[in-house]
Amino acid sequence: MTGNKTGTKVRSEREHMKKALDLISVLLLAAGAVYYLGGSFSGLAALSSGAALYLFNIYYFQGKEKTLSAVKKYLSRLIVPLIGIAAAVVSGAVIMLLTGYDPIESYTALFYGGFVKNWYVAVLNATPLIFTGLSIAFAFKAGLFNIGAEGQYYIGAMAGAWLGFKLELPPLIAIILVYAAGSFLASLWNFIPALLKVKTGAHEVITTMMFAHIARYLSPIFIRAFGGDPATSTHPYVTWELPESSWLLSFKSFIPDANYRLHTGILIAVAAAFFVSYVLENTKTGFEIKAVGFNKEAARVQGISVGKNIFIAMMFAGALAGMAGITQVLGLDHKLFENLQAGYGWNGISVALLASNNPVGVIFTSLLWGALDAGGQYMARTTHTPNSIVEIIKGIMLFLIVAKYIYIYAARLIKKKKGGGSV
Amino acid sequence: MSFLMFLNTDLLVATVRLSTPITLAALGATVCERAGVVNIAMEGIMIIGAFFAAVTAFYTGNPWLGLASGVLAGGIYSLIHAAAAISLHLDHVVSGAVLNILAFGITRYLMVLFFGHPGTSDAIPSFLGDYQFAVPLLSKIPVLGPVFFNQTPIIYISFILVIFLAWFLKHTRTGLHIRAAGEHPLALETIGVSVYKIKYLAVFISGLASGLAGAYLSIENNVSFTEGMTNGKGFIALAAMISGGWSAAGSFLSALFFGFADALQIRFQVFRIFHVPEELFIIFPYAATIIAVAGFVRRSRPPKADGVDFIIEKENE
Repeated sequence: MTGNKTGTKVRSEREHMKKALDLISVLLLAAGAVYYLGGSFSGLAALSSGAALYLFNIYYFQGKEKTLSAVKKYLSRLIVPLIGIAAAVVSGAVIMLLTGYDPIESYTALFYGGFVKNWYVAVLNATPLIFTGLSIAFAFKAGLFNIGAEGQYYIGAMAGAWLGFKLELPPLIAIILVYAAGSFLASLWNFIPALLKVKTGAHEVITTMMFAHIARYLSPIFIRAFGGDPATSTHPYVTWELPESSWLLSFKSFIPDANYRLHTGILIAVAAAFFVSYVLENTKTGFEIKAVGFNKEAARVQGISVGKNIFIAMMFAGALAGMAGITQVLGLDHKLFENLQAGYGWNGISVALLASNNPVGVIFTSLLWGALDAGGQYMARTTHTPNSIVEIIKGIMLFLIVAKYIYIYAARLIKKKKGGGSV
Repeated sequence: MSFLMFLNTDLLVATVRLSTPITLAALGATVCERAGVVNIAMEGIMIIGAFFAAVTAFYTGNPWLGLASGVLAGGIYSLIHAAAAISLHLDHVVSGAVLNILAFGITRYLMVLFFGHPGTSDAIPSFLGDYQFAVPLLSKIPVLGPVFFNQTPIIYISFILVIFLAWFLKHTRTGLHIRAAGEHPLALETIGVSVYKIKYLAVFISGLASGLAGAYLSIENNVSFTEGMTNGKGFIALAAMISGGWSAAGSFLSALFFGFADALQIRFQVFRIFHVPEELFIIFPYAATIIAVAGFVRRSRPPKADGVDFIIEKENE
């Protein structure tokens, strides 16, 4: 009896220790992420020690087998993207060689500029992309293609600016209200496409795309109404500046050497990604949405309302894309530019597809895309290679990662060769 | 009175001109979807076609060579979609979206390479708009004559294509095979026709048509290539195909409607009939597209196996 009691005591002590170590590693990861996203590379040290502690924890309490399988789990998810990235980099080099540019010089500038020198620009680029990427990934989970995320982005940006002008409230309250009301208005932009999809079956690719075009022509009207003057300012028009109470906190306020433009919108975006992941994995709505996306008929048989879930998914996707616009206005610009064809919608599709619609994966693919864009600009400034090569590399990367069947073909070919050899 | 002053033959001529790229891309989309392959890469294929047409016309000075290379470039580019959607079993919509993104990257890069700057290309020396000609006798018919029979080359080609493809899909063996591939691919494979080959052919045809649509934009309706000049026309073409009930003639009629909406908004802008911001006129065709898709979609149905992946597992011989 007594022996058993001490056994449980020891076990519970071990449990406590494991929990404490887990908590420390999560805190290290979080703090590291905040600092790294704030442009400080000391965050990388915290990130890697947090990850090391996490693995050590598994090793110490669960043994070697579990550690290896955990490492394997993460690596196996990365293998196809890594092959795709490598192949795209090689194809980019071939294209540069064929068109008379130096690939080594260009790539050095691209990666130095994107991941080191102008890392803060990469983070700034990634912030709206995480939101639009989440929007598109979430809709994909329901079997819907929110190709018009760019439109909801504009509506969010306009709503954010409008509320920023109108609400005269203390800082934190103003920001929360702008996010709540602005994302609601942006989700309304998907109301008609959602309604048409459910009631008449009109394809959301066409309806949301048309609404995106409408939204981008509405933005100049909005800008003229709020200070944009076509007579004095040439294109792009721009509104007045928002009152400071509705600005997002900048990293500079707690990391002194952070770039002054870098704002904490990225942290909201990362939090949103984990929230979307939670909704999809742990809630009834998430389960139903995935069921509808996987097989409508089967979902219907199980008593899941297909129409209702399509509707929810479209509206939520609209709200997420709207937050991209809100964050851009409150965090980066503090005013609304006439920014026709900003491309957040299209790039959002890319980052969602690259991450296989995994919400947390979207964070990483957005940062990659942001870094490639930032590095491309740096490369164009410091070498002769045109920036647009990055667009091609991104396109090839996307294609090679999305077309997973290529790897099945390759695996079959290798198998065949091996089989042929043994016979 | 002032409201009626622009409801004249010129408006109808403009309607036909503005609807032509939509008609051509919608025809391509019709053939493609009748074979069961969804193609939302129209926009990207058009921009590729427009670019290569302009570059060839610029360097050779011959717009007819530009026309040929635009069409061919569209066809070749569409084969990537065919390979991805048919052989690599990628979701058709995903593949189309990726190709749209890639197309804008390619044209941006090549713009810098060929013209030294992004944005708009240098003007081509001679464009197809110079080759406007009136069809004898037919062009003398009141109203319809100047509208349909006093136009430029690609517009005539689009008329011929509407009639040809309507006949082709209905009355030829290949047309029948294309429709079967979209309705019941397994039955087609059973009678010994390769579904893959038929689908590849249909996608290629859609690429040629969209390439032609792009060439129209850059070397017939314009004298230069501009990045993003398709401006959503590829998607409007999809809407035209749907509201046209997946048929060649229907696509043509819907495209005319969208062209009319576009012509009307330009006139509204020019004549300033209503005193509202000009942007509200620009969005008119896009709004009309939504209404058309919403209203017509119930009356027609897509091919049964549209967008459905078709896999044949072959036994190893």
